[in-house]
Amino acid sequence: MSIPLPSLDFDPSVVWRFLFNSVILEGARTTIIVAILAQALGLFLGLLSALMRMSKNPLLSVPANFYVWFFRGTPLLIQLLFWYNGVPQLFDNPDITHQLTSFRVAIFALGVNEGAYMTEIVRAGIESVEAGQMDAAKSLGMTSGKAMRRIILPQALRVVLPPTGNEFIAMLKNSSLCFAIALVELSNAARSIYSTNLNVLELLAVASIWYLVMTTAFSLLQAELEARLAVGLRERPRTLFGRMTEAFGTGRTRFHD
Amino acid sequence: MQGIFPMIRCEGVHKRFGSLEVLRGVTFDVARGEVVVMAGPSGSGKSTLLRCINHLEKVNQGRIYVDGQPVGYREVKGKFVEKGEREVARMRASIGMVFQRFNLFPHLTALGNVIDAPIHVRKMSRTEGRRAGRAMLEKVGLSDKLDAYPAQLSGGQQQRVAIARALAMEPKVMLFDEPTSALDPELVGEVLEVMKSLAREGMTMIVVTHEMGFAREVADRVMLIDEGVVVEEGPPAQFFTNPRHERTKLFLSKIL
Repeated sequence: MSIPLPSLDFDPSVVWRFLFNSVILEGARTTIIVAILAQALGLFLGLLSALMRMSKNPLLSVPANFYVWFFRGTPLLIQLLFWYNGVPQLFDNPDITHQLTSFRVAIFALGVNEGAYMTEIVRAGIESVEAGQMDAAKSLGMTSGKAMRRIILPQALRVVLPPTGNEFIAMLKNSSLCFAIALVELSNAARSIYSTNLNVLELLAVASIWYLVMTTAFSLLQAELEARLAVGLRERPRTLFGRMTEAFGTGRTRFHD
Repeated sequence: MQGIFPMIRCEGVHKRFGSLEVLRGVTFDVARGEVVVMAGPSGSGKSTLLRCINHLEKVNQGRIYVDGQPVGYREVKGKFVEKGEREVARMRASIGMVFQRFNLFPHLTALGNVIDAPIHVRKMSRTEGRRAGRAMLEKVGLSDKLDAYPAQLSGGQQQRVAIARALAMEPKVMLFDEPTSALDPELVGEVLEVMKSLAREGMTMIVVTHEMGFAREVADRVMLIDEGVVVEEGPPAQFFTNPRHERTKLFLSKIL
């Protein structure tokens, strides 16, 4: 028995040639836009459903619990197929089907799914704020809604932001599942090219490079945002290097005591 | 009703947490401009009583009035129904409260803490709010700390910001819930000084504290609360030197 040797048939020049290919760039752009809009929708739905879930009124908390239970408990792929292929069957109306483009359904389906995860993140953020903060805000004459907006949520945001960053990075990558609903995002763009020229490895490398560029850029942005939100709580690393090490989770965070 | 009614009136206040009855019929008045110190062992219900006065806790029975207005409830045909949230909030805006743990807003500067409610609750203009906020922080001796965040201040400074924050709403009454209990001993004095000057200006105050020196010097009246009832009350001279009740004697022997 002989072990098959790898042919090492990998041509870096192909990687370079396709790195700035217009189909790839267009796919990367779609990935970013879909991920940002879906994450924004997810954050909004998560906030809404977290507030509903924390309500004492079962008319609010029960639907929110159901939402989280259902969308966390079923595969994202099935949810995508449901909104894209299933809903048109429900309506059986060409006008509606026409409106349900891959792009719109991708944002909606990813956002609704993300909202279920964000619910728990936002709730944990709100619950991390000391009860005394609500007491103080109320004693100054704020209604609970105003206290939530002005006092509790800004503090919860600091706790919510780091896991939301993780969620967004996962979103950038999970959006590749949208190939199932014919969305030409980054992975699907790479796939469409290698299915004709057969340079599979090179195009997977091209896609990976762009994913890494996006996630790295976002990690830096996140560190910057966290530093701004931490105002009053901790010192901000002064150097770019300091901020980068913090962005990649190796930096030490210094707190005032 | 001004002048006829005392500033604060509690009538037979009961408060239960589950099966635990924390307040068991508390009745007292606080006159306009009076300074009342509440003492008592921990768990006696003092803090709960303060929290009932601005409706952070709902009473189970009895009535509380501040400046003649029933707190948290409204009388409709002889029955008391809870007020709407906005109405309760409006009432709280005129009752200042200072907490044991300061409860400053950590994401706002000292000035931000002081002006937030005047601007967003009282609807003062930003310039007017900032001007008033600066004046309040100056009053508590912190005019050099306007832009400091709570985490950058000592406990004593934080508590003084908290007092300035409450005063900025121009309250009719100030409630102090163990304002110096969380402070290092050397920082207690600066907070008590601010409270003393407030008392001299004629602010109506209820102070829950273990600082008996403050009570002797500043209080018009001292009250002992134990097991959810007012055990003894009187002017400090009488309270400290000639208490009538055994429980007061026992309490004083432990604390003095």
